[in-house]
Amino acid sequence: MINISQLEKVYRTEEVETVALNKLTMDIKTGEFVAVMGPSGCGKSTLLNILGMLDDPDDGSFIFNGIEVAHFNERKRADLRKNNIGFVFQSFNLIDELTVFENVELPLIYTGVKTADRKKRVEEVLDKVQIMHRRNHYPQQLSGGQQQRVAVARAVVNHPKLILADEPTGNLDSSNGNEVMQLLTELNEQGTTIVMVTHSEHDARYSHRIIRMLDGQTVTENILI
Amino acid sequence: MFKNYFKIAVRNLLRHKAFSFVNILGLAVGMASCFLIFLYVSFETSYDNFNKKADRIYRIVSDIKTPSEVIHSGITIAPLAIYLKKDFPEVEDAVRLASDGFLVTKGDIKFQEKRTLLVDSTLLNVFDFPFVEGNKVTALTEPMSIILSQTASKKYFGNEDPLGKHVLLTGAAINATITGIMKDIPENSQIHADMLVSMSSAKQIYGQSTSDSEWTNHNFLTYLLLKPNANAKRLEEKLPAFMQKYHGQQMRELQMYETLFLEPLRDVYLKSTHTEVFPATILTTGNINNVYIFSIIGIFILLIACINFINLTTARSAERAKEVGIRKMAGALRFQLTKQFISESIIITLIAFIIAVVLSVLALPWFNQLAGKTISTGIFSNSLQIAELFLLSILIGIFAGFYPSLFLSSFKPVSVLKGRFSTSTKGLMLRKGLVVFQFVISIALITGTIIVYTQMNYMRNKDLGFNKEQEIIINTNFDKNKDAFRQSLSSISGVLSSVYSSSVPGGDYTSAYSEMQNAKGETQKTNLNLYFINYDYINQYQLKLTAGRSFSKDFATDSTQAMIINESAAKMLGYTSAQQAVGRNFSQWGRQGKIIGVLKDFNYKSLQQQIEPLTMRIEPGAFGLISIKVAANNLPSTIKAIENKWNTIVPNRPFEYNFLDDAFNQQYNAENNFGNLFLNFAVLAIFISCLGLLGLSSYSTIQRTKEIGVRKVLGASVSSIVNLLSADFLKLVLIAFVIATPLAWFAMNKWLQDFAYRTHISWWMFALAAIASLLIAFATISFQAIKAAIANPVKSLRTE
Ligand SMILES: Nc1ncnc2c1ncn2[C@@H]1O[C@H](COP(=O)(O)OP(=O)(O)OP(=O)(O)O)[C@@H](O)[C@H]1O
Ligand SMILES: [Mg+2]
Repeated sequence: MINISQLEKVYRTEEVETVALNKLTMDIKTGEFVAVMGPSGCGKSTLLNILGMLDDPDDGSFIFNGIEVAHFNERKRADLRKNNIGFVFQSFNLIDELTVFENVELPLIYTGVKTADRKKRVEEVLDKVQIMHRRNHYPQQLSGGQQQRVAVARAVVNHPKLILADEPTGNLDSSNGNEVMQLLTELNEQGTTIVMVTHSEHDARYSHRIIRMLDGQTVTENILI
Repeated sequence: MFKNYFKIAVRNLLRHKAFSFVNILGLAVGMASCFLIFLYVSFETSYDNFNKKADRIYRIVSDIKTPSEVIHSGITIAPLAIYLKKDFPEVEDAVRLASDGFLVTKGDIKFQEKRTLLVDSTLLNVFDFPFVEGNKVTALTEPMSIILSQTASKKYFGNEDPLGKHVLLTGAAINATITGIMKDIPENSQIHADMLVSMSSAKQIYGQSTSDSEWTNHNFLTYLLLKPNANAKRLEEKLPAFMQKYHGQQMRELQMYETLFLEPLRDVYLKSTHTEVFPATILTTGNINNVYIFSIIGIFILLIACINFINLTTARSAERAKEVGIRKMAGALRFQLTKQFISESIIITLIAFIIAVVLSVLALPWFNQLAGKTISTGIFSNSLQIAELFLLSILIGIFAGFYPSLFLSSFKPVSVLKGRFSTSTKGLMLRKGLVVFQFVISIALITGTIIVYTQMNYMRNKDLGFNKEQEIIINTNFDKNKDAFRQSLSSISGVLSSVYSSSVPGGDYTSAYSEMQNAKGETQKTNLNLYFINYDYINQYQLKLTAGRSFSKDFATDSTQAMIINESAAKMLGYTSAQQAVGRNFSQWGRQGKIIGVLKDFNYKSLQQQIEPLTMRIEPGAFGLISIKVAANNLPSTIKAIENKWNTIVPNRPFEYNFLDDAFNQQYNAENNFGNLFLNFAVLAIFISCLGLLGLSSYSTIQRTKEIGVRKVLGASVSSIVNLLSADFLKLVLIAFVIATPLAWFAMNKWLQDFAYRTHISWWMFALAAIASLLIAFATISFQAIKAAIANPVKSLRTE
């Protein structure tokens, strides 16, 4: 599904130049569950943003489902993104002014799904993450674990082929964290490819493969299954 | 999708109530001011539009060139209407109007009617005065026929049907018949009259018919109705030849060359330059400059309100940034977000629109009063206008939302979703620039107001060169008992003196074709303003002689062969000193004689106008006015005594009087209204600017809560923190002042050019505006700053 080679990303500020990704190469196959680990600042989030097409690389190649996307423009990337990729973040990133239902509904609105279909599909996923009874609440009225479950629901409502999760359990206690990990595992079992950044060895053990990064490069890979 | 936008917009508004309040209030007040100005401008530009044939109606005006001057006259001669219609096929119809005042009696009911017009029978074919009863075609053909306005009709006939009934006009031996009733002429008509008398009545009223072959007697307004498709320009080009044909010989003899022009009816009210016209009560004139000035002020106020919106929205971008990131991540394209934010701003402007409509409805009576006329009876009385305003507010929403939506939708999801998003510098320069712009406008308006009021004050208090205090003016309308009345006045203890004249300063006067001996000894032909006065006039008004002597009963010839002129007249005739003019010859309206004295110039017209040459002679037949000089104490009882005398000696006329100074200052009514409107809009502008400042300063204070906490813990005093928070904004106001000063100076200098006598713009006016705006801005900002500075620092630090 994903073939990356010689990928480079450099951040330039007035004083310093930070090489966030340094000639990084990796492949991820369809249906895989990959965990990315490494010390703070090694470029994990940068990688995830590029995979999610929220950001573009400075150099190198990024082939997504056989298409070279490294030089796609904003519009094309947005198109590809909304039909293929779901995101889960450490800080949930729900819109405070929208209810649970409305937050989950958002990706469907932008892909142009009809109102009746939307209702059905949102209820389906809310059911799956067991948050249906809170559908009319606002994010601030929920616990962290519940908020993250809503975020997961939003990430999968569009049936994406790929889910990118950046420290999804980082803000959660262990029992809430485990629930979220359970959810991701189920999704993976149903065929969704998952790339997850984490600092927790415990969470990493849910994955098939752990990629360890240092200074913008992959250093080792542990195959778990 | 729109439903989603709407939801977000409403929830955002409710969640940030204070911000929404400031934002919407600013917009609403700005829009309400703009609506009122819009109504004012539509009203001013709607004059005479009610005439269905307005496009084809032209007023004839003329430039009359004499060897001494050019007179721009709106008043024309009688034969024009007749011969233009005869000679030019493109003239469909023509109508003349002459103004006069009549004492009108019906049994015991009597009124001195001031707004009466003698009109040709063709009037209602040209103008669409709203006719309600009678035969429109024939109503004005027969002599002694009258059309009354409904108001006038009520006065004489109450609820009776007046058609076919009679009233008596002064001068006429027989009764006049009411042949028609019209609604009161709309306020946005250049012509106003309560009573229209058929022109053919002239013979019965004045003892002679209209001077249809008199080519020198300027007494009429003349309007032409051209045929459809007629070319007015082409007709105008043919008029010099026309004048030559009928009047060429006489023009050469008199050396008064008259050139005719056609003024489109719709331009007369606002744009006419031919200002020598009828009394303002009958022919109203407006000022296109005021329309421009208020349009600009309206746009400025709207800009200020839009800037508030832009500033407050972008200042809050940090809060909206997260939402932008999430939506983009969920698949939103930039244009979709732009659309969302513009929809949001339209929603906000529509809420503001509703409030603005309510505000304008509430303010309308007050606004009418300020404007001095009924601009509008209600916003809802005109559904087209409401629709226009509605569209306007949607446009405002798009305009105000445009930049913020581009700004907000440009955020990159990566930078936003990472967590903390700093916007402290993003768009800050622009916001500062816009605040400066707002205050440039506000300060310029404040300066403008100060200068307008200084000029008003100057006009009211300037020494006009004559005594205008304690002078009561009574118009006798040439009543046969006027002499007896005047003689009886001396028995009243409060009356110091009284004198006859045809004119008083600030009032109407005639102008006369005159042949004057000039400095070279030649006979100079000119048209001169003329006051007929009696012996004591110069004394009673304390006019100052600079050469020669005043009229005196010691010289028998003074009553017929003496003239007094003012310095301007002497100068116009080429005399380098007043003394040289004394003893020179004059010939005017059939009288010949010598100039016996020269008066120091006095302002007998409003201070907008230069003092023109003036001549004065004794002519008892022209004495209609009595000026009564009264003692300052016991004024009410003196007036009562004068009224009693009038009622016993002149029982058939109502007692009416006015004070000269009041009447003189009434010439400035339009300017006063202008000044008041200007003041109010300046206040509104600064109010809206301050709302924006309040919003921005409170926002930046919130952003700096932690900094303030740290500083306080480290020992900063309250005042140093207030200074810290205020200094930035006050700097902006100072920059605005520097920019506004030359702009205001330039604009107001231009405005003052309209006044022949004007105050000087001096530094204190700008200083006052600067201090006022600084104080207001400081009060606004420090409100927030003090609140932040006295808050407990522990609280603000703990939340971090
Ligand atoms: N917008 C930016 N401007 C400048 N430098 C940046 C920017 N974003 C990231 N960096 C730098 O790039 C490097 C990689 O950052 P990245 O966020 O990918 O790290 P990370 O592995 O996700 O760290 P963490 O585990 O702490 O989240 C870091 O050194 C960071 O300082
Ligand atoms: Mg990271």
